[in-house]
Amino acid sequence: MSVTEQPAPAPGPEPAGDEAAERLRDRISADSLTTRRDYLRIVATVSGGLAVGGVGVAAGILHRHGDSESMPEARKVTDALAPGESVAFRFPGDEDRALAVRLPDGTLVGYSAVCTHLACAVLWREDRGADGELYCPCHEGVFDARTGEVTAGPPPRPLPRIFLTEQPDGSVWAIATARSGEPAREALCRQLGDSHPEMTRQLGCPGAGRAAANQRGRT
Amino acid sequence: MSDQPIPPRPDYRPGSAQPRLNRPVRERYPQIRATSGYGDPRIRHTGPGPGAGTEQEPERSSKLNARLVLALTVVVGQLWALTVAVNEWMEGNTGTAWWGAGFLILSFLVVIGLWLLDPKDR
Ligand code: FES
Repeated sequence: MSVTEQPAPAPGPEPAGDEAAERLRDRISADSLTTRRDYLRIVATVSGGLAVGGVGVAAGILHRHGDSESMPEARKVTDALAPGESVAFRFPGDEDRALAVRLPDGTLVGYSAVCTHLACAVLWREDRGADGELYCPCHEGVFDARTGEVTAGPPPRPLPRIFLTEQPDGSVWAIATARSGEPAREALCRQLGDSHPEMTRQLGCPGAGRAAANQRGRT
Repeated sequence: MSDQPIPPRPDYRPGSAQPRLNRPVRERYPQIRATSGYGDPRIRHTGPGPGAGTEQEPERSSKLNARLVLALTVVVGQLWALTVAVNEWMEGNTGTAWWGAGFLILSFLVVIGLWLLDPKDR
């Protein structure tokens, strides 16, 4: 029971009654002020905060790093990328850090460089692992360079993927993105949507109309 | 002793009835008292003797403890659900994230219910 709900203690009979009452109040308030009922109230408040946070998350207050709803504008990453090298760029937005890597065997991969744990920068480390790996120095998070899957450390989700293409002149372009763990075809279908109907048909996406409804329902 | 009526209890007053015998404690460490807890007139029956300083109303106390433990358990579940909701939303499964939000709200209602069982208990 909190002190404020107590009836004021009756002043003593002595002339300095007010002072005695004051001292009693002071003494009571020196005791622990947080009772178990107060804890229950605090727990209820925390619970309400979590509920509000959950609604906020579902409504989209968090930024989904390296994601775009529709087809992002293709962007030139670099003029040339040698095996074992990496280059940092921004894609799809100017705020979305990304990383393009050419694996030693020549495969070209691109990922969002925002760690899925606490958003540190992910680095390409050729010297680590069998054929290099994506490494987050903040908490030793490690991602597989070929798939973006988490192979060690605290990150909860794979890195969002970025689809790269190589032009005949060797320049590398970023063209599309996929969310964490999203299959490539699903991601491309979602972004192509109804803006590129012939490409969606080529990919064998579910019917154009359905794809558009899907997109509205999922986002 | 037994034939005499019990005299009315005097009003409780912390410290001495003579103000000059009470140390002035206001100046230093004003929140620390040697008698902390026992200087509180709301504590009705406690010591000296067996059971001094222990719980005086164990039934009520255990009910409150049970409510508190249940509420804390629900909050732990909410923390878990929030991480799940964030993961699902980040992976683009917005529908699943909304289910998570619904779970969080239901859990909150459970906690509120536990509190409303007896909001005045201490
Ligand atoms: S931020 Fe990357 S592992 Fe923690």
